[in-house]
Amino acid sequence: MVDVVVPPVRISVGSRLAVRLRRFGEVAREVLRNPATVVGLFVIVAMIGMALLAPVLTEANTPDPYQMPRDWGALNEPPGTPGFPLGTTSHGGDVLYGVIWGSRTSLRLSLIVVGATVTIGLIIGSLAGFLGGKVDEILMRVVDVFLSIPELIFALAIAAVLGPSFRNIILALAVVFWVKYARLIRGQIIHVKGNDYVDAARVIGDSRFSIYRRDVLPNSITPIIVQATLDMGHIVLVGATLSFIGLSEAGLAEWGVLVSDGQAGISAGRWWASTFPGAMVFLWALAFNLVGDGLRDVLDPRTEKR
Amino acid sequence: MQIRDYVLRRLMILPLLVVGTSIIVFALTRIGGSPIGIYLSHEMTPAEVTELEERFHLDDPLPVQYFYWVSGVLRGDLGWSGVAAAPVTQVFPDKLGATMELAVAAGIVAVVLGIGLGTFAGARRNRLPDHLARVFSISGASMPVFWFAIVLLIVFWVYLGWFPTGRSDPNVFGRIAHPTGIYTLDAILAADFRAFLDALWHLTLPAITLGYGTTALIARMMRSSLVEELGEDYVDAARAKGLPERLVLRRHARRNALIPTVTVIGLSFGFLLQGTVVVEIIYRWPGLGRWMADAVLRGDQATIMAYVLFTSVLFLAVNLVVDVTYAYLDRRVVLGT
Amino acid sequence: MTPSAKPSPSPERKPLLVASVEDLAVHFQTKSGIVHAVDGVSFQIRDEETLGLVGETGCGKSVTARSFLRLIATPPGIFAGGRILFWSREARDHGNKPIDLLTLPLARLREIRGNRIAMIFQDPGKSLNPAMPIREQVAEVFYQHRSAELLAGLNGKVPATIRRHARQQTTVAERLLMRVPPLRSYGRKLRTRVDDMVGDALAETQIPNPRKIMASYPHELSGGMKQRVMIAQALACNPDLLIADEPTTALDVTVQARILELIRDLQQRRRTSVLYISHDLSLVKRICDRVAVMYAGRIAEVGTSGSVFEEHLHPYTRGLLAAIPARAHTRGELAAIEGTVPELVEPPPSCRFHTRCRYAVELCSREDPPLRGHAGTSHPVACFGYESANEWHAGPDGMPDLEAPTR
Repeated sequence: MVDVVVPPVRISVGSRLAVRLRRFGEVAREVLRNPATVVGLFVIVAMIGMALLAPVLTEANTPDPYQMPRDWGALNEPPGTPGFPLGTTSHGGDVLYGVIWGSRTSLRLSLIVVGATVTIGLIIGSLAGFLGGKVDEILMRVVDVFLSIPELIFALAIAAVLGPSFRNIILALAVVFWVKYARLIRGQIIHVKGNDYVDAARVIGDSRFSIYRRDVLPNSITPIIVQATLDMGHIVLVGATLSFIGLSEAGLAEWGVLVSDGQAGISAGRWWASTFPGAMVFLWALAFNLVGDGLRDVLDPRTEKR
Repeated sequence: MQIRDYVLRRLMILPLLVVGTSIIVFALTRIGGSPIGIYLSHEMTPAEVTELEERFHLDDPLPVQYFYWVSGVLRGDLGWSGVAAAPVTQVFPDKLGATMELAVAAGIVAVVLGIGLGTFAGARRNRLPDHLARVFSISGASMPVFWFAIVLLIVFWVYLGWFPTGRSDPNVFGRIAHPTGIYTLDAILAADFRAFLDALWHLTLPAITLGYGTTALIARMMRSSLVEELGEDYVDAARAKGLPERLVLRRHARRNALIPTVTVIGLSFGFLLQGTVVVEIIYRWPGLGRWMADAVLRGDQATIMAYVLFTSVLFLAVNLVVDVTYAYLDRRVVLGT
Repeated sequence: MTPSAKPSPSPERKPLLVASVEDLAVHFQTKSGIVHAVDGVSFQIRDEETLGLVGETGCGKSVTARSFLRLIATPPGIFAGGRILFWSREARDHGNKPIDLLTLPLARLREIRGNRIAMIFQDPGKSLNPAMPIREQVAEVFYQHRSAELLAGLNGKVPATIRRHARQQTTVAERLLMRVPPLRSYGRKLRTRVDDMVGDALAETQIPNPRKIMASYPHELSGGMKQRVMIAQALACNPDLLIADEPTTALDVTVQARILELIRDLQQRRRTSVLYISHDLSLVKRICDRVAVMYAGRIAEVGTSGSVFEEHLHPYTRGLLAAIPARAHTRGELAAIEGTVPELVEPPPSCRFHTRCRYAVELCSREDPPLRGHAGTSHPVACFGYESANEWHAGPDGMPDLEAPTR
């Protein structure tokens, strides 16, 4: 019985990619094993499809397709009226149009905001993690302050101060939601910094940046992906709430705005103008939550014993 | 010992965070147009406006302005609310009572139902009740409060007519005195049963709407910590002593599972606070949230700033209390094991 | 499979049994299939003896131990067959009829848990509820099983609520009511009585200052102290059988010896039988009367401590003992057993050890050797090497060597 000594092997870039791809396939398979996640994925695909195909699926009668169409001849029609399967609003807007274009608006909103927040968060978090010391302290205090203000209220105040518009909602959400990512990446950097491996790598002469690229980033990707997926749903939820309260442009084909416009008709029994768009917000958030949860179970599981 | 250090550390950071928050609020007031917008009211003469400008040192650099703004706040001057046509600090207490009543009611519902549901599901892991509870939890986290409120209204108010909107029937409400500003309490104090019922009747739908998401959150946390505790060795050891399963659950697993659940309560409070804005709009509840919503739409900056400041400080305080309680309860945490 | 034969007893003196495991099979549902963790295990525990169950990690000894009290989560566990017979002292006095622990209704099993059969676990730090004072945890055993004694100490007519409290059967309302004066004094008297009993139990395990320990939380105690508490708890109701699952593995070496002594001492005084699970051979040799060696879910051999360790009939035991560095071995050589424990997912019929066995023959890969006595062996062993024609001679390293054709 002799110990076998394994000589150090240099893995070439090509095969490392192959390993990564294979691992990706395994993860994907594991994720798809959960029926709830699969359902969520379907819904997301359907919604994104709807969003991308919106110009094809519907016809606008205003110059800006993002505005709800107005048909003064068909006010407050209930669902089922010919030509208006989901009914019309008090301005004669086709609810179905709102539902479909709303998904486009939501997709725009969530993609821009999530993209922005991940980027900002990564930058700030990396700065804090790498530079350490005073910079880290200050940045983390800033993060803490941001976290002490409840998200919705913070976004509400910012959007209110900037003035009601869709663009300002995007801005407000971006300002509020970057913090989690900053924390994530900073935590990962701190963790890697504590590894002996880093010292060994420095001795060999690896630069801090390559360590960052090779160790910190890959390990952080999974929690960031999970968080970003969840945020895709959450951002639309908060955005719709802000629109509902009135911080968006009037007449926009956005789910929150539609729900708000439809509110007035409720006491008269006109339920459709609010219910359908609102249901879409729910579905959107639900789908992303299901997928995000499924991802988290696979990528970051807490082992449940026995 | 360690708990004391932990508490001290948190207490020392707290003022820092409050100051940080106030800086953000101050920055927002400056961004939002006229720097003294929050103090202006329609009746002011140009002379009074100039006097205001001087008082708050608008010609001086920002940090000075900040200082004067803060001293104003500490003196109780939070500006003039255009929406309420009165100083902010005057209107605040009434609305605060209404919102607190709603939030507390929703909180009670959420805690009781959430813990119950979570325990029920956790003890029956991976069986039907657990799956149903999971669905409930996820729907709670995805539920747009404004939509849920509207759906409930449509069903229970428009079609079934079981529940009302608003906070009270004005006739009943006007009959009793309101020392606390909390309708249910006032009704008890006045020994007016009808008023008490009226209060509860109006409270039901809004509290359920507001509490839904939080119930789901608490249930989820409770379930997962119960499952974790049930996997621990001491639970098996308790069974080995011959204890019936209900005692194992109650005295050992559930009691210990409640501890991490406490941490979620701090978060939940934040959600409840945020939810009140929307819930109050839809149910026409005369509280802080609705006031804030109107302020947002009509550019009433004083209210907005006061609201942000208030909710943040409250949020910080609640989180601090929760974290300290948790550290005290969980001796494992204290020892760092 | 034939049950193990009792090693040459004189016909008039059949040893009294406390428990008899017959063909126990426990399986687990896993993602990769059904794992046969315990697959046809049989052995007996005699009255007032300490039986050691030895084997490496993963051989199924813990699962076997837990099966006595059915402490296995089902799912994913499955009790796939066999019986565990148990003779309590009471039963022995009344006709000596055993009960099958595996088919006993849960309510009756609970009467036995902590009462007639008690168990102590490996890591006392994890087996005690970290958020409960010692006093409360130990008291639970008394409330559960000795409530009659508790109530006997109270004078006068004891209210029903108090009686139910002694049996831990109160509702929330009743517990609130107990804070009110008439019930409160009864409650206090009951508590004093319980405290006395707990204190006595702790003192028996030589815990210094029991009252102070009672008020403490587990994390305030040392490992050895915690294990004493567990032992006190286990022996509180004078069980007929104590199952000790590696009780000293998580303790410092110096503390180990004292705990072992304590267990031995208490066992002798109370005349309890002990099933001692361990992977530490030297330890088992010291304190066990008889030993059963377990490998990959089956028993390899079982006999008195002396004969197993001296004759080490089964090749696995042989390998284990050779692996212990002893002064007799030349320095620089560690004899490990080649190979690894086989996967126990739906295993084919074969000797579980044959892939690592120096003496394996073709038969060993086709059939399961039964555990039984053979001509010329002092105790039962499960190995085809002992079938008729094979002979064992002294080998070059001083250990017996099988002379039958090898691989």
